[in-house]
Amino acid sequence: MFGMANDFTHREIMDPMSVMHTARQLGSASICDVDLSQPVSLGTSIMAVEFDGGVVCGADSRTSTGSYIANRVSDKITALDEQIYTMRSGSAADTQAVSDYVRYYLDMHRNQTQKPTAVKTAAKLVSMLLYENKSMLMGEMIVAGWDAHNGGQVYKCAMGGSLIRRPYSTGGSGSIFIAAHCEHTFRPGMTRQQAIDFVDNALRLAMASDGSSGGSVRKVVIDASGVERTYTGGVF
Amino acid sequence: MSISQYNGSAMIAMTGKGCVGIAADRRLGIRNMTKACDFKKVFQVNDKILVGFSGLATDLQTLEQRLRMRCNMYKLREEREISIEAFGNLVASMQYEKRFGYYFVEPVIAGLKADNSPYLMSSDIIGAQCFKDDFVVAGDTAETLFGMCESVYRPDLGPEELFEVLSQCLLSGVDRDCLAGWGATVYIMTPEGVRETHLKGRMD
Amino acid sequence: MSTASIAQALNEQRGGFDFELAKRNAALEGAGMKVPRATKTGTTIVGMVYKDGVVLGADTRSTQGPTVADKNCQKIHYIADNIWCCGAGTAADTEFTTALISSKVELHRMATGKQPRLVTALTMLKRLLFRYQGHVGAALILGGVDCNGPALYQVYPHGSTDYLPYVTMGSGSVNAMAIFESEYKDGLTQEEAMKLVHKAVLSGIFNDLGSGSNVDLCVITREGHTLHRGYDQPNPRRFRYPGGFTYTNGTTPTLSSSFTPSRTPAAVVGGAGMEVDA
Repeated sequence: MFGMANDFTHREIMDPMSVMHTARQLGSASICDVDLSQPVSLGTSIMAVEFDGGVVCGADSRTSTGSYIANRVSDKITALDEQIYTMRSGSAADTQAVSDYVRYYLDMHRNQTQKPTAVKTAAKLVSMLLYENKSMLMGEMIVAGWDAHNGGQVYKCAMGGSLIRRPYSTGGSGSIFIAAHCEHTFRPGMTRQQAIDFVDNALRLAMASDGSSGGSVRKVVIDASGVERTYTGGVF
Repeated sequence: MSISQYNGSAMIAMTGKGCVGIAADRRLGIRNMTKACDFKKVFQVNDKILVGFSGLATDLQTLEQRLRMRCNMYKLREEREISIEAFGNLVASMQYEKRFGYYFVEPVIAGLKADNSPYLMSSDIIGAQCFKDDFVVAGDTAETLFGMCESVYRPDLGPEELFEVLSQCLLSGVDRDCLAGWGATVYIMTPEGVRETHLKGRMD
Repeated sequence: MSTASIAQALNEQRGGFDFELAKRNAALEGAGMKVPRATKTGTTIVGMVYKDGVVLGADTRSTQGPTVADKNCQKIHYIADNIWCCGAGTAADTEFTTALISSKVELHRMATGKQPRLVTALTMLKRLLFRYQGHVGAALILGGVDCNGPALYQVYPHGSTDYLPYVTMGSGSVNAMAIFESEYKDGLTQEEAMKLVHKAVLSGIFNDLGSGSNVDLCVITREGHTLHRGYDQPNPRRFRYPGGFTYTNGTTPTLSSSFTPSRTPAAVVGGAGMEVDA
């Protein structure tokens, strides 16, 4: 599917999905084990907002398996390129795999063109992978960054592969709690500090309402001058 | 009913001082119907290796035949007998190869290493190896056999004592197992050779 | 077909999983047969970074349903001299995935001539596990020291990874995490780190049903690694009948007996090598 080299070349696959059903039974039955077959998911609050000259990316830091917090300091803001980042929500495994592929593609692309990559290119790659493998992937990603052509940009790559540019975008399970708040407080053409405060406030509200979002607010601010990483709140 | 209980079996392997042994019942059944009382479940691979299979009879025979083929090929290619360490890994790898469509077989391997010190391994149905220096059990009443072995086993048993301990553990174990029994065979391996003894047990 | 080519054909090492019996097994299961349980590690595995290295810890119980399958199994697996890996989940999966990655890392080390990095092993592991979409049930803690210093990762069966200063996995992970969350500090010494990891594993052993028996530790520093197999044995067998039970020879009635003597191995005479025609 991803055109990867297979170490385990399947000799003969007779409807692998039904075959794996047996395997799952084998792996999951035990009286005294945490159910490891449950996928690790980013019950998440993520958002990104454009400001005058750049973008602010924000995310909470909670990763959960069922009701257990598997990681309370996780980093859901993943670098795809020097000035392009993605915020991941949904299945941790799926979104990490997609980011890994996109980072690899962008490295090759930058090597071939010898030019900084456009944010849109990265966003398109993410949405392409989500589209082409829509039956396999469970994840929603926001791609944000800065390039010389279009300045700060925010793209939402939703499940299934749609791609839309927005002045700001929210995602993850926590985003529904802050939809109205964001709609109300967002102003086009905010300054850098205003945008940081906007993200900070919104994510704090989301974390307060959503059980599967929490920890601290991680932020990445990207503009022409470079990238700045910060975090606020939470116990580190 | 579990697939591994379809034919019924009970098996124990133990180490002694410079010797090892496997005891297995002889029943082949189809659910509650006993079909044969002379079913072979333990095989001698070479002078140093005994292997027993417990579980579904059809898989037991298939796995044994494939293993024998692999061991013969090894001997042709390498011009030497396969070592017990290699054999243990071979069995586990062949099982894990079928991780998503496995043999319903739990192998038990006992034998002597190059220096004639005992080697004991058991594996689950998908090839998770378990190395022990005392005893391993397999079969549909593994718990019962475990209980017997835990109390009766002693380290450094000689071949004769090992035979008695193995026999008593197995016979007591299968007394409480309706799917195993109907005769038993004990194999005791020493550097000098292998003694195969049929036990006089209950036939009900 | 010559004998050699038949041998070659029969021995063809193709690698990979074989789904030959999958359909049959699915049919048997569909017919109402219960599928036997594979061995699970039912585990407490932990790892922690300290000042100049990493300490990994594990209990030693493996379970098959409610039965303890192995009282003293090793859950700390070798990947490379500077990288070790704790495994939880389906025993065969942890065993074979770590062994496979270990050999790939070794080949990589020989090809590059450099000490393997943790991220190399980590990427190999996560790609493999992601490809099998969680069906290969290995939950791992990968720890070690490379050119970037000490590091610790956790790997989930679906292929997601986390990078953390202290991690726990397996059924006893919550118990062990409680210890870490209350007592972990940055920059501990090796002695303090081993003490804390030991305590975390003990918490799993005594409070989680799936974990038990002994504590294994593995300390990895820039200088090398030390595996402390059976570092602590808090659950020895007690009340064993002194001297043990003895059956007098001839207790068990027998029907027949036969003896197959060992074939004397062909002795190699002299030190001369094999003669080969020119």
